[in-house]
Amino acid sequence: MFGWNGRLLRINLTQGTSRVEDMPTSLMENYIGGRGMNAKILFDEIDPRIDALSPGNKLIFATGPLTGSGAPAASRFIVSAKSPLSNCVSSPCCGGYFGANLKYSGYDLVIIEGKSPEPVYVTILNDRVEINPAGHFWGKESSETEKMIRKEMKARYGLDNWALNSMGIADIGPAGENLVRFASIMSDGGRAAGRSGLGAVMGSKNLKALAALGTGQVNIADVEGFRKAVMDFYKEARENGEFYKRRRYGTWGLPGRANASKSQAAYNFKEGYSEAFVKYEDPEVIRDLIRVRDEACFSCPFSCGKRSRIKDPEYPLTAKGPEHETMALLGANCGLGNMEDICRANYLCNELGMDTITAGAMISCAMELFEEGHLPERDLGYPLEFGNTNMFTLLRQIAHRQGIGDLMAEGGLTFASKYGHPELFMGIKGMGIPAWHPQAFDALGLQYATCVTGGSHTKATMPFYEGRKDPAHFVEFTKKDQDYIAAADSGVLCWIIYHGPLWGEKLSEWLTYVTGIAQTREELDRLGERIWNLERLFNMRAGITGKDDALPPRITKEPRVKNRVVPLDKLLPEYYEWRGWDKNGVPTREKLKELALEKEGEGVI
Amino acid sequence: MRIKIDHKICTGCKQCEIACSLAHTGAVNPWRSRIRIFVGEEFCLPVIAGPYTEAACNSKGIRMAEGIEVDACVICRASCPAKSVYKEPDTGIPLKCDFCGEPPNPQCVQWCAPNALTLVEDT
Repeated sequence: MFGWNGRLLRINLTQGTSRVEDMPTSLMENYIGGRGMNAKILFDEIDPRIDALSPGNKLIFATGPLTGSGAPAASRFIVSAKSPLSNCVSSPCCGGYFGANLKYSGYDLVIIEGKSPEPVYVTILNDRVEINPAGHFWGKESSETEKMIRKEMKARYGLDNWALNSMGIADIGPAGENLVRFASIMSDGGRAAGRSGLGAVMGSKNLKALAALGTGQVNIADVEGFRKAVMDFYKEARENGEFYKRRRYGTWGLPGRANASKSQAAYNFKEGYSEAFVKYEDPEVIRDLIRVRDEACFSCPFSCGKRSRIKDPEYPLTAKGPEHETMALLGANCGLGNMEDICRANYLCNELGMDTITAGAMISCAMELFEEGHLPERDLGYPLEFGNTNMFTLLRQIAHRQGIGDLMAEGGLTFASKYGHPELFMGIKGMGIPAWHPQAFDALGLQYATCVTGGSHTKATMPFYEGRKDPAHFVEFTKKDQDYIAAADSGVLCWIIYHGPLWGEKLSEWLTYVTGIAQTREELDRLGERIWNLERLFNMRAGITGKDDALPPRITKEPRVKNRVVPLDKLLPEYYEWRGWDKNGVPTREKLKELALEKEGEGVI
Repeated sequence: MRIKIDHKICTGCKQCEIACSLAHTGAVNPWRSRIRIFVGEEFCLPVIAGPYTEAACNSKGIRMAEGIEVDACVICRASCPAKSVYKEPDTGIPLKCDFCGEPPNPQCVQWCAPNALTLVEDT
């Protein structure tokens, strides 16, 4: 078989067993892999109304046919489960070396079921799948856990340094163990499948980590064609400077760009601009301050990841990030301007295993509540105005559920409602709004509001591309981009590289060369639309309705940035029309028939 | 001709491993590659497979490279019995870099986007 392995691994933690199953061909044809397959499996196998932290929830780590194939920027793996934060189906993606190792082990995806009575971690070495006790790792921070796992695997399997170095590990920190609802799954010491709290799902299963080391191969249908296509792609990316730009600055060019155009999330979205960020408008400044080296994900020639360093004895010598979203949410949005502080907050969240974006939204919400006098100092134990570094203490308290952290670990809406002001939490379906201020671009507000998993930055496209800004077309583009991203997440290609108009056709090209099955852009867009609708059906069964396609009143009512608000009530009907949904956001029978989802739609619409 | 390595530029993306295995085996498998990247915190080390040795040596250990501790077994290019790399995973047959034929056209160099690997004339 080309591209796919055609096998899936099912691990039942309640019974402590694992078994290998053949992948149904229909699943590969209709959903490709990654996010698509996960959506279908979750829809078929779990009851969407269950508590996301109960043993009935299933956690799926999936790769796609392109993962590990050598297609540029195809390293990602997708983790899916019902989210404890938004109650939607969620599928965050993560780069690094884990996805490729899972693929080379001979599986396309791993389904984790049930709940282990004791803390465990799972090791996957090709056909050798073992569930090992992890009681001695419990409570350890993310990078410490990875170190200990490598040491243990060295002793148990006799692996040499090369093998240990090639491995991929996905793990949770204390936040995941303590069921913080926005805990993330960490990988390779600082990458994260971060949004929507799947770390808590992993923690609820008493699963501390998965470690994979594969020595198998991925077969390519048209080897010569593929090699030539990759070389042509390289030539293009060298000539248009994309290789250079992305390697040099990664996402560090964006905070300055957002700040200069007044579209930065700042001070809990009260503003679109932070005075302290003016000095970062030249990304060279950030590079000089903290960069150690450029750090690529597996198989990515762009290498936008950066390893950074600050002089602080409390934290590791070097660490990954911070990326743009983190700089904005934990930085400008919390009133921090000092790069060392931002790095420290980022390292802290990574080590504790928390989503930096939702954590930033939580902290800034607490800061505003404090400044407005709704959150008394006696509840916190310290002052917490914007820019106060007491937020580091608060981050630790959240992860360990100490003091007020216990309440905040339940998510932003619960926390802000307790203090009487749910509208001050800047989130969508419970998930924090990402870095670009929605009021700066109307289309972005619509993308965030209608996203199936909540306010996700990975399921929306960057707002500044040509065509996306034109009011006559952006609703149409919103729909098309969402469909395309769903398809790319199923391939799996890195959305950061491929979401723009620059390389929109590449997904079909790589899939055709690797799998040998020709698929046009139109077919893939339709496939993405099917995935999007299927996820929508899952959410509807979970009790999420069109009413949840909403933005906080600050975004829709108070003109904070560029003297505008997002006219969501005007945009939504138009968006539903493009989607072929009725005025309440419910997919129509005709639409489902067109997408071959009639069976799935039964009893839902 | 030689392949010049600049470890300070290497990003650890491992496209060279993929290119090598594709060129030599027709499938993608880094474990069948004649070049491997050791990913460190401060820098990555591309190491190209050298000659086969029948026995492992016992003179290695930890060496210092630019102030950083490096396992000498990692910087050694030999395909030796003590190592897991530079051999076919199934059969154990040793592997050695052949510059992708004559004239030399190493695919790892072609696929190296940051140009950490370059083909240079012997000096």
